[in-house]
Amino acid sequence: MMREVLRLENVAKSFGSVQALRDVSLTVNTGEVVALLGDNGAGKSTLIKAISGLHGIDRGRIIVDGKEVTIRNPRDAMNLGIETIHQDSSLAVDLSIARNLFLGREPVKAAFLGPLAPLDLPQLKRQASDLLRRVGIRKNLDADAPIKALSGGERQSIAISRAMQFFAKIIILDEPTNNLGVEETHGVLRFIKEVRDAGHSVIYITHNIHHVFQVADRIVVMRQGTVVADIKAEGTSILEVEAIITGADLHELEVDARRS
Amino acid sequence: MTNDALTRPGGTARADRLLDRNHDTGGAKVKSTRWRALLRKPETSSFIILCLAVVFFTLANDRFLSPLNLANLLAFLPELGIIALGMTLLLTAGEFDLSVGAVFAFCPVISMLLVQHAGIDLGLALIVGFALTAVIGLANGLFVTKIGISSFLVTLAMLLLVRGSTLFATQGFPLASFSGETILKPLLAGSFYVGEVRFHASIIWFALLAALAFYVLNYSKVGNWISAIGSNRNAAIARGVPADAVKIGLFIATSLLAALAGTISALRISSASPVAGDQYELEVIAMVVVGGTALTGGRGTIIGTIIGVFLLRIIRNGIVLVGVPGLAFNIFVGGLILVMLVVHAAMQKRSSRA
Repeated sequence: MMREVLRLENVAKSFGSVQALRDVSLTVNTGEVVALLGDNGAGKSTLIKAISGLHGIDRGRIIVDGKEVTIRNPRDAMNLGIETIHQDSSLAVDLSIARNLFLGREPVKAAFLGPLAPLDLPQLKRQASDLLRRVGIRKNLDADAPIKALSGGERQSIAISRAMQFFAKIIILDEPTNNLGVEETHGVLRFIKEVRDAGHSVIYITHNIHHVFQVADRIVVMRQGTVVADIKAEGTSILEVEAIITGADLHELEVDARRS
Repeated sequence: MTNDALTRPGGTARADRLLDRNHDTGGAKVKSTRWRALLRKPETSSFIILCLAVVFFTLANDRFLSPLNLANLLAFLPELGIIALGMTLLLTAGEFDLSVGAVFAFCPVISMLLVQHAGIDLGLALIVGFALTAVIGLANGLFVTKIGISSFLVTLAMLLLVRGSTLFATQGFPLASFSGETILKPLLAGSFYVGEVRFHASIIWFALLAALAFYVLNYSKVGNWISAIGSNRNAAIARGVPADAVKIGLFIATSLLAALAGTISALRISSASPVAGDQYELEVIAMVVVGGTALTGGRGTIIGTIIGVFLLRIIRNGIVLVGVPGLAFNIFVGGLILVMLVVHAAMQKRSSRA
């Protein structure tokens, strides 16, 4: 049963004289992978940053689970169940896996001490180990190992596990397969399907249209700060989507493809 | 916090994927990996070099371990050590502070000026001095985080501003330090004997503050944030960590620690000099980095800093004792710092490949 978890209505955002987003409207349902496509500068990152609380919006409404919300900072977004995995930058590589998994949400004892409160290290370690097993990271990873010691794919898995652990409603993945090998990319794509099957919604940003067709249920294309297409992945083709992204004529593209 | 979410049943659990192979690590194996982990720590190599230095200087000159020399060594060492603690936290968060040496002179000088010219009580004067110091730290932090200028440039400018103000306020002359009766003097700069060795109160302050800094960095919530900010600031911000507030707090703490060290020093030698603490910023950064804290942030160690403080002070002291001319000792200190950095870099490379 599909239910709407996130709806954007006429969202707009400018930076000085540059209008990065205009009238963006979008819905995401439960258990759905929505691929967000668009050329560089189309406004994908700006949109994601607005949803994940890295910057505000100028106009429009954001509705989560039927309620209009204001997202002022990343913590607001996380509390609403929106977890974002940013491109290459979601983990602190010098910290251990366990410390990364709970970064910003550390379990503490004596919470009245505020930021100086002592970390509940045994609990941190135990929950981290549980999580690593639960999300099916097959290798016997030590929760105390620094992220530095992991491969790119393992790091991405850790970042995605972190998003899953707080039972996020919506997981946003910003180019999660960048800089990954073939095997690791397949791992991440498989992971995305599992996340969906477990009932989470996923917004998946990528440049790789082939990956989109492997995992996405719906494809949303942005161009020049606005949504130009919102189509079901089933029943469309790579060329068609490419044409929408670049704004080129589909016929010309087909001719090009035949020539090369 | 939202920990209750973690214990909620159901959710995304995929217990069927439990594939825990090679879990049977024997006791001996655990022990050996623990040893190897210890050896790979940057603090370990610093500690070994510290031990070698102590052995070498003891053999080279038997006065090295004499009560008088130890007392001299320990009188001065905590003052730099206290600054180094703040610097360690700041470096771990990816910033550094070149104004600590200037602040070291500024706080006692301003306080003494107030005592001498405004006739106010030393305690009150110090409160004003520390408050102004906190403003200096706050200014450093705001310029770095809110305007986005590198901490190198901001604190370099602050070094000149603060040192210049201190020199101008005193017209370059040292001020006789406070001579009246006050509880603050024995508390900050008193001394006591253990056996034949004379200790100053500052060593206790250093020990207490080091314990506090160790706790904060390794065991507190904010310590996790500090390392995360230095390691990957954007990631920390994306997880809701108030990175700017943490950095500003660290700049203030570092300034206050430098002011405390300067005040202790001024009371100990009964003189507040406007040129005190000259070039301490570089010495302190060297101590911190030699101890194994990364200059680029993300990796900090208080134990390493304590080792670094002892190492640099002992080498300065020992080199004079073995008869190297005073003017030549920076050659040795510089060489040693380079050697330590090469060792740390080599170990870092190996551990990230492993």
